[in-house]
Amino acid sequence: MKRRALLLTLASLLLAALLGELNHYLGAWQLHVWCGGLFVAFAALRLDFRTGATAAFLAGLLFDANAPVAFGTQALLFLAAHAVIFNARARAPREVTLVGVIIALLANLALFLALSFLRIGASPAPGETWMRDFADLLVSQAVIALIAPWFFALQVRLLQIGGAGLRETARSAI
Amino acid sequence: MPNQRFDQAKPFVTLALVLAAWLVVPVAVKRFLRASFFELQAPVEVVASHVRDLQDFWSLKARSNNELIEAGRDLARLNAAYEIRLQKDASLRDEIDRLNGLLKLPAPDGYRAEPTRVVRRDFSGWWQQLIIRKGRDYGIIEGSPVIYVGGVVGRVREVHAYTSVVDLISSPGVRIAASLEGDTRPISYQGGLNPTLAPARGTVEYVPVDIFVTPAAPRRLVTSGLGGVFPANLTIGYITRVEPSTDGLFKSGDVQLEPALSALTEVTVLIPQGPAAAAGK
Repeated sequence: MKRRALLLTLASLLLAALLGELNHYLGAWQLHVWCGGLFVAFAALRLDFRTGATAAFLAGLLFDANAPVAFGTQALLFLAAHAVIFNARARAPREVTLVGVIIALLANLALFLALSFLRIGASPAPGETWMRDFADLLVSQAVIALIAPWFFALQVRLLQIGGAGLRETARSAI
Repeated sequence: MPNQRFDQAKPFVTLALVLAAWLVVPVAVKRFLRASFFELQAPVEVVASHVRDLQDFWSLKARSNNELIEAGRDLARLNAAYEIRLQKDASLRDEIDRLNGLLKLPAPDGYRAEPTRVVRRDFSGWWQQLIIRKGRDYGIIEGSPVIYVGGVVGRVREVHAYTSVVDLISSPGVRIAASLEGDTRPISYQGGLNPTLAPARGTVEYVPVDIFVTPAAPRRLVTSGLGGVFPANLTIGYITRVEPSTDGLFKSGDVQLEPALSALTEVTVLIPQGPAAAAGK
């Protein structure tokens, strides 16, 4: 369990670094990509509850360490998203990549809106800030649709390389 | 049946337990965890910024000799102009010291300038921040003002082992005591208007009613020096519009920030020096 959670955290660390680089360049156009849903979807769909929840919580803490929010805010949001997806996963063909992408998009939408509601109070012009947030959300969703299959494959391969492949837990985790 | 119900509720029960446990975790532990998770990611970001610098270096190496000669000539002219200004500056400092001595005034606190590269820009609608490549290893202090050639960048929010996080003046919630150029009356500046594909903007409040501004004739907004964080007369931006506030006693309006603020690669941290800084420490 610990090994799987650590391997997924390693994958999250890599994705966070890549998204950080992307945001560095997009900053010149006042655009921002936030893909929180992508960090939750795979763990919630494919792993047992404890491992997935640990990986989602750790990914949230990685996000929190770089953000001016109360430490744990995004980690708890990720955990909540993980709980909802885990509860609903039996009703969907969760091993299909397309389903994973759609779940990641929906999770990202919910998490993005939740974080926006938490942050909107600091803005002097909430209306204008919502316009900006929707533009960022649109770009973020496009990026998720583009990179989610790659990120899921990366996580599967990383677990295999780390000697903690998914095959033996695929059904027992339902 | 009850077992199945509990299985369905288990994720939410766990969530509630984690939330309750997280609320009672001591602040010191959370601080330690935040610093640990930040430092875990810092090497990756710093290495990425060094790689970017290397890319810039190799792209500059591809420039022709003629371009380098032209750049050298321009730099020589700039150096000559700065030499003259330095001489003027030295004579003015001597004059200030002489007058301070005559009036027995205490010497004003100064700043140590620490130029540094930008590791990462993080500009969302929620927050606008920079990570810079100097931290405790260079004596950076939390709350230190950060500037660039165009004026104010922001304020250091967090200091880590070899990086620091800077809140930009365009970040929602950042407030600065300001004044109009040539006018000593204080105005409150707040960042937070960051439209997509356009330069960031801020807002001003408590603008005196006798101030008139139009987009065709904007007024420069500078730091007032009040509050002791920023030195006076640093450019924040340009007020492009003011209108009477609801109470009718003041005006409020918009501030256009420099577009270069969104593409910074190098900034300077002003580290307070002198007795006041030591007292603050």
